[in-house]
Parts: sequence; structure tokens; C-alpha cells
Amino acid sequence: MSLKNKRGALRLAAFAAVAALALAGCTSTAGGTAAGSSGPIAKEDLVLVASVINTTNPYFIANIEGAKALSKKLDIPLEIIDSQGSSQTEISKIQAILAQGKKVVMFVNTVASSDTPTIVDAVKRAGGYVSIWWNKPDNFEPWDSGDNFVAFQKHPGVDSGRCNAKAIGDALGGKGNVIMFPGVQDSTTSQTRVAGFEAEMRENYPGIKILENQPSNWDPQLANQNAKDLIAKYGDQINGVWSADDGMQLGAIQAFDDAGLLDKVKFASDGLYPDTVAMMKEGYGNNAIVGETFHRGYMASAIGLYTAYLAATGEIVPSELPKEKRTSFFDIKCVTPDTLDDYLKYDSPTAAADFVDQLVENGPWDTEPATLTGGGGPEVMPKP
Amino acid sequence: MVNKVLSEQGAGGITTTAIRIRESGIERRARFRSLAEPLSLLVALAVLIGVFSLLNERFLTASNVQNILTQSAIPLIVAVGATLVILLGSIDLSVEGVMGATGMTWILLSANSRGGVDLGPWAWVIALGVALLLGVASGLIFTALKVPSFIVTLGMWYVGLGIATMLYGTDLLPRLEDEGLKGWTSRISLGLPNSFWVALLVIGLGILVLRSTRIGRVTLAIGNSETIVRSAGLPAFRVKVAVFAIAAVLSGLGGILATVQLDIGSPTVGSGVLFIVIPAVVIGGTHLSGGKGGILRTVLGVFLLTILNNGLILSGVESSYQSAVTGAILVAAIVFAAWSQRDRLRVAK
Repeated sequence: MSLKNKRGALRLAAFAAVAALALAGCTSTAGGTAAGSSGPIAKEDLVLVASVINTTNPYFIANIEGAKALSKKLDIPLEIIDSQGSSQTEISKIQAILAQGKKVVMFVNTVASSDTPTIVDAVKRAGGYVSIWWNKPDNFEPWDSGDNFVAFQKHPGVDSGRCNAKAIGDALGGKGNVIMFPGVQDSTTSQTRVAGFEAEMRENYPGIKILENQPSNWDPQLANQNAKDLIAKYGDQINGVWSADDGMQLGAIQAFDDAGLLDKVKFASDGLYPDTVAMMKEGYGNNAIVGETFHRGYMASAIGLYTAYLAATGEIVPSELPKEKRTSFFDIKCVTPDTLDDYLKYDSPTAAADFVDQLVENGPWDTEPATLTGGGGPEVMPKP
Repeated sequence: MVNKVLSEQGAGGITTTAIRIRESGIERRARFRSLAEPLSLLVALAVLIGVFSLLNERFLTASNVQNILTQSAIPLIVAVGATLVILLGSIDLSVEGVMGATGMTWILLSANSRGGVDLGPWAWVIALGVALLLGVASGLIFTALKVPSFIVTLGMWYVGLGIATMLYGTDLLPRLEDEGLKGWTSRISLGLPNSFWVALLVIGLGILVLRSTRIGRVTLAIGNSETIVRSAGLPAFRVKVAVFAIAAVLSGLGGILATVQLDIGSPTVGSGVLFIVIPAVVIGGTHLSGGKGGILRTVLGVFLLTILNNGLILSGVESSYQSAVTGAILVAAIVFAAWSQRDRLRVAK
């Protein structure tokens, strides 16, 4: 074969491949549209979708782990969406999956509250079912949008902040100065945690003064820098440090370690990341970490997906559920170094699979340690 | 003026003298201008420092100065590379991706909490090798395929981030376990933080490369006119690839130091650095169109941005106003610094 012919043949092959792909795409779309968009959906027609904010934060990696465990348990294929921290990416990837025509059972850890209506609307039009975690606008409730927006779920931020405040307040004997590292300033998750922390200090620890808060965007690097600046500003006046999540706390702890102040300062935060467990166990820096709140990403995604799955298969009818099962708050555990050992089992290699087994047995609202504790409307903020 | 020149045409000797005087005037003004811009930037910096030290007496303490130097070290190292690229008239957006890939490669090959291998110094070599590969790839695609550097390096940013994310996997955060390295970046030697010593070394080498080597001279020439460089038979192709490679290795070095500073490996270890580095280069007065500028000016730009951040926190500006205030002060400082550059014929794009 001459060179020219070879090229021609190659082009032909490439064209054939593209045409075949395009055809395959068309057929699957057509098949999808033919299926009904209301009423229970057969399990074979379903696909699980888990959308996370990024794939580098340990919490979101745990989200994926939970979705994988449930996918295996229910024997339904799973697709993961990595929003790469951007609402635009998140929404366009979700729309691309919906356009494939499958019936989706979806869990979305929304990038921003304002993404929720757009996502719910797209899923509804495609006849899928979605649970949203952590962020949604307060006035956009599942019961106003029909059965396809199955539930909004989260762990209450106020409880988390209060738990951390108690830990620091007690460790300092009710006296001292504290600095705070909230997450992204306009995130409701961060705002509720901050409100809970401040309220607890105000109500029960009048001797503790909050020197300053520096929002650090859930970014360990930024928290590290801000901590360095606040150390320069207040020096050894700082007795306690609160961070809205463990990632930022790792950055802050490093800054205090560098400044040689780690032995005198107490830390508390949300998440009890596996790394934090290790640090608490070894008593890092004169037992620097005095309190943590416990919840796991794999529990959130498994609960969210399973609730949506039950709605898709007709086992629950969302519009007949009480409001606290549509906008739901799940228990968050308050952990101190003394109770740490009780939580180690949730990080064993089989932890996600074990949790999913329990979940399918007990239902989405009654599985320890993340049981339903409240809800039915926006989280009530403490009075200023 | 035309009349004056015409009237002087009569006496030949006077005309030449008039032209010489005019030329030397222009030259003097040009020299003044080239000094005036960094000078006014220095004045802006001094004003900022003055105001911040009035607002909080802790601002000028040794510990805060060391803090500022530590924080500026990584942006400084990365900015030296960025300045070289911008002097070419190109841009390197891959900074954060390269930092992530290099930092992650390095920590996974050093003693860390995930176990695995500890290659010691070889971890540095391999990690910086990854950065070099990314840089050479950017450079080759940019020069050989003539794709705008903006797009190539934007792509390389995500390639780097992707490599870092893949390496990171789904395991625990890798924590640094080498006690000698923990906190090394902010430890003080001879009055300055270690990371700042590294930055000084990089700045020195950068200036040397730019002023006294063929790469440096050709870089500036390419920024002024690539056509002339090529028709003069100078190695434009090789120099461009080399500059992208140098920039990537410096980003990689920044990534490793950022990982040491944070004590944990994270694919997003470079987050936010790009938006300090590129503005710093431009604030310093290096032209985005290439050919004009320098590394010392960039150093001033990095300091301006770092001091602004630190000063606002120390002077107790409410965090919700901080970004607006940062922006306003920044614009004011640049207008002031660039005042001497106003010229009826100067084109700003």
C-alpha cells in the first residue's frame, strides 16, 4: 500500500469510528427518552450519580467512597462528577449525564447554595431523583418542587460550632483568647458553625474573648498564612484556635508549631479527619487538639443516594413524608480525646461497606452514628 | 518648533548642536523614567509600611518582618520564572498545576506518613524532573506547534493538577515525617527565614541569567522583536523552550517548599500563587508585551502584595472589607507607581 493509500485508509477508519460512536450515542439517548418519567423505575434502568466539589479534599474523597459502596451493595452502576470547585463545571457535567437519557439517582454536594434550583430543575425534567447535601437557599424547600427533589440533608452547623466551643472553653478553664478560621465567608455551612461557636462562648464561657476571625476559604495554605499573620499580631495572647474544618486546622497547627507556640495553644475543629485522629492519638503538641466533631463523607453520600433511590423505585413517596424527612439534619457527634476510641471503627477499611449494610437494613433515617435529629426547615440560628 | 528647526537650518554647526542637546535631553528623560518607576514603587511601598506601622506597632517587629519574608519567599521564587516568561512576551499559567505535581511527587518519595519509599535527595531530583518535563512540554508545544502560550500553559496547569490528584489517590493526607525538614522554611538562619535565603539565591541567579547570559539577552530581544532575533540567526526556538523549562523548575521548587511549609502534601498546594505572581510582575513594571522589565522590579511587586495582605490583617480591617480595601489600595499604588510613565504616546492595553 502506498503512503497516500495508507493515509486514506486511516482517515476512513477514523471516520468509521467517529460515526459508530455518534450512532451509539444517539441510540442510548433515544432509548432513554422512551422510558416513562414518572412512577417507579425498574432497578436495571437506574444509574447512581455522585457529584462532589473536588477530588482532592479528604471529605469529598470519602463521599465517593460511600457512593461506591452503595453502588456495589445495590448492584447499580455509578458515575462520579468532579465539579473542580466550580458551579459552572458542576452544572454542565450534570446536564451532560442527564442528556445521556438514563434515569439518575443523584447525590450532589453543591458547590454553592444557588446551584440547587438549577440542578433540581434539570433532574426533574429528565425524570431523575436527587438529594442535595450541605448547601441550598433557605427558601427553596423540597416540598415546593415535587417528588424529584427528594431531600435536602446536612449535619447541623450550629451543633458543630457549639461542640467545638465547649471543648476549647473547658480546656482553657473558661478563661482566655481565641481566634477563628471560618471557611468561605458566604457558605451557610461555615456561617452556622461560626454562629454556634460564638453563641456557646457568649452564653456559657463569658471569660473567653474572641480576638478575631479570618475566613480562610477551606484552604489549608491560606489558613497557614492567616495564622502566621495573627501570631505576628497577637503573639502569645492566643490561647485557643477554632477552624471550620480539619483541613484549615492542619494549616493553622503548622503555623503555631513553626512559631514554637504549639504547647500552649488548644485547637478544636470539625470533621475528625483520619489525620486528626492520628494526631489526637499521639497527643501531638502537648495534646493540642482538644475537641472535634465527627461525621464522615461516606455516610453523607450513602444516605443521600439511598434516599433518592428509595424514591426512584417507589419505596417511599417523598410528598407523603413528614417535612423533617425532606429537609433533614443528621446527628453530629462531639468527640474528645477520651471518647476518640469509640470512633476508630468508622475508619476501618470496610467501614463504608459496613455502614451501607446497616443503611439498607435500617433505612436512611435510623442508621448509627448518623441518625435523623431534626429538620423540617432552615437551621435555626442562635440569637445574637 | 518646526519653524525653529527650519530657521536653524541656516547655520550648520548650530543645527548639529541643537540636535545633540535634544538627544541628550531625551536620553536623560528616558534614564529618569527607567529609574522613576521603581523609585515610585519604592515610595508606595514605604508609604504602606509607614501607615501599617502607625496602625499597629507590631507590624515592624522582627518577628513580623520574618513572617512577611517567609510568606513572600515562595511567590518570589515562582515570580522569577514568571518574569522571564513575560519578558518573552508570553505567559505561564501552569504555575499552580506544576507546584501541585512537583510537591506531591516530592512528598510521596520522601519520608511521609503514608510510608512507601524514602529516596532522600533523589526525591528532589525526581520531583524537579517532573516539573522540568512539564515545562519542556509547554515550551515545545508553544514553539514548535505555534500554539499561544496562554492556552498551552492553561492546559498544562490542569495536566499538573491531574498528575497531582492521581498521585494523591484516595489515601490519607501524606504528612512529612522528616524532623529535620519540618518547619524548615520558616526557621531562621543568620536573621532571615530559610525559605527567603532560597528566594534570594534564585533572585540572584535569575538576575545573572538575564543580564549576563545569552539566554537572558535573547529573551529580552525576543520580547522586543522576534522577527529581528530570528533573522539575525539567534536561537529563538531553543531559548523559548529553555525559559519555559526554567520557569517550570522554579514553580516546582516553590511547590516543594510550600509542601514543606504546610507539612502535608496536597494537590492544590499552589492555590492562589498565580494571582500573586502575575500581578506582581506587572505591578513591578514588566511589560506584558515583553522586552521591558526585570526581576528586581518583580521583587518589589511581590513585596507590595505580601505586605498589603499582612498589613491589613494586622491593622484589624474587618475581614469582609479586606478584599475591597486590598483592591483599592492596590490600584492606588499602581497609579502612583506608573505616574512617571504617562506619556501622550504611550499605549496601554
